[in-house]
Amino acid sequence: MSTFVKNFLRFCIIMALQVLILNKITLRWWSQPAGFPVFIPYVYPLFLLLLPFEVPVWGLLIIGFLTGLTMDSFANTAGIHACATVLVAYLRTNVLNALMPKNLSEYPNQSPGVKNMGWMPFLVYSSFLILLHHTVYFSIELWSFVNIGYLLLKIIASTLTSMLFIVAYLLLFTRQVNARS
Amino acid sequence: MRNFILFIRRFFNLILFLGLEIVCIVLIARTNNMQGNDIMSSANTVVGLMYQKQNDVVYYFGLRRMNDSLINENAFLRQRLAKYNMYDTLKDSAVHQIVQQKDSTHVIKYADYLYRTAKVVNNSVSAANNYVTINRGSADGIGKGMAVISGTGVVGKVEHVSAHFASVLSVLSVKQKVSAKIKDGTTGYVEWEGNRPDVLLMKDIPQQVKVKKGDSIYTTSYSFFPQDVLIGTVYEIALIKKNSLLLLRLRPSTNFRNLQYVYVVENKMLGERQQLEDSVKAKK
Repeated sequence: MSTFVKNFLRFCIIMALQVLILNKITLRWWSQPAGFPVFIPYVYPLFLLLLPFEVPVWGLLIIGFLTGLTMDSFANTAGIHACATVLVAYLRTNVLNALMPKNLSEYPNQSPGVKNMGWMPFLVYSSFLILLHHTVYFSIELWSFVNIGYLLLKIIASTLTSMLFIVAYLLLFTRQVNARS
Repeated sequence: MRNFILFIRRFFNLILFLGLEIVCIVLIARTNNMQGNDIMSSANTVVGLMYQKQNDVVYYFGLRRMNDSLINENAFLRQRLAKYNMYDTLKDSAVHQIVQQKDSTHVIKYADYLYRTAKVVNNSVSAANNYVTINRGSADGIGKGMAVISGTGVVGKVEHVSAHFASVLSVLSVKQKVSAKIKDGTTGYVEWEGNRPDVLLMKDIPQQVKVKKGDSIYTTSYSFFPQDVLIGTVYEIALIKKNSLLLLRLRPSTNFRNLQYVYVVENKMLGERQQLEDSVKAKK
């Protein structure tokens, strides 16, 4: 399967998961025990995090912008998701450069993943960018720092649940190559 | 010139990044002053269709609950209909509701409301401004600014319309206040503080107003909603020390988590009223 088709399919799957299932979590009564602020996991930036290494920054920015706009039209928040994803797309290369031992051009035809990064660096990479995305998104959405405790709680709860789903995704879709050796 | 091109090439990524962010900020600013663009909303045909397909699947799981609510609503409506037996409300789908006038003129006035049913295909409660997508659009006569109510209470106001879908800004929104009144006629605004979908606030009620826990709060005739639609019931009364005014916390009568069917209410007099009010404003 070519890289393009693979990433396009991944985009469709992650978007469908986000829109049809994860966005609906808050509609269930058990999602909010005892007045806990409504949290909502946004997993779809994972698509940006898993794009191949050799995508240039301007490409990442445009893909990020389009991803954000798609999400915006589903969630009726014109521009807020796009604003957060563009920031994630812009900083992705810098974070990867800081975490990877070799230069990024030395990983031809590869995508960031558990296999070539290891669990710990990948989790640092994804949790940092997801936390950034959630912070930007929820700050713009609420647009006031009056009850900052609520804002922080919402950001942290949402990031934690997002990371839970991302780890589940990784466990499901990472091929176990050296399972028997 | 050469330096300029070199500068652009050197900072191309940064310039593109800033450009895209500016586009986003413009988009956000445009939606925040209530005049959003229809393409970037869930009233958009593609998004609407996707939500419709999903709803076709999920629909069956809520049938039992919906039947119960419909039976309750029927009972409530029969009860009210008994009062209006002398009027022929079945002539057409337009409902001639009497606007109660407590003045001495005893002129009975009619406000013409047209109720249209719509199915909810998408719903949210977690954002700061929550939207409900319904499967009726301009082809079915839905227009911007119409009120949306459910069988049990208020829902919101139509904000974006496409041919077959519309998205409704619900009462659970920090940018929309609803004009409301207590049983004794004191009016105020009901608003949402942006976090819990089962708490609404009514601020700035004078201390001498007699409110009890369990009192119902209704819509007034000032807003786009029809008069006397239930908003919620008071469950907590707090006194704000700073300005010695009361703060009422309400439980909304609509369960926003499991909305299934709603009514879009068209007020046929609203256009005339707004024209008059705008002309008064223009003179000032």
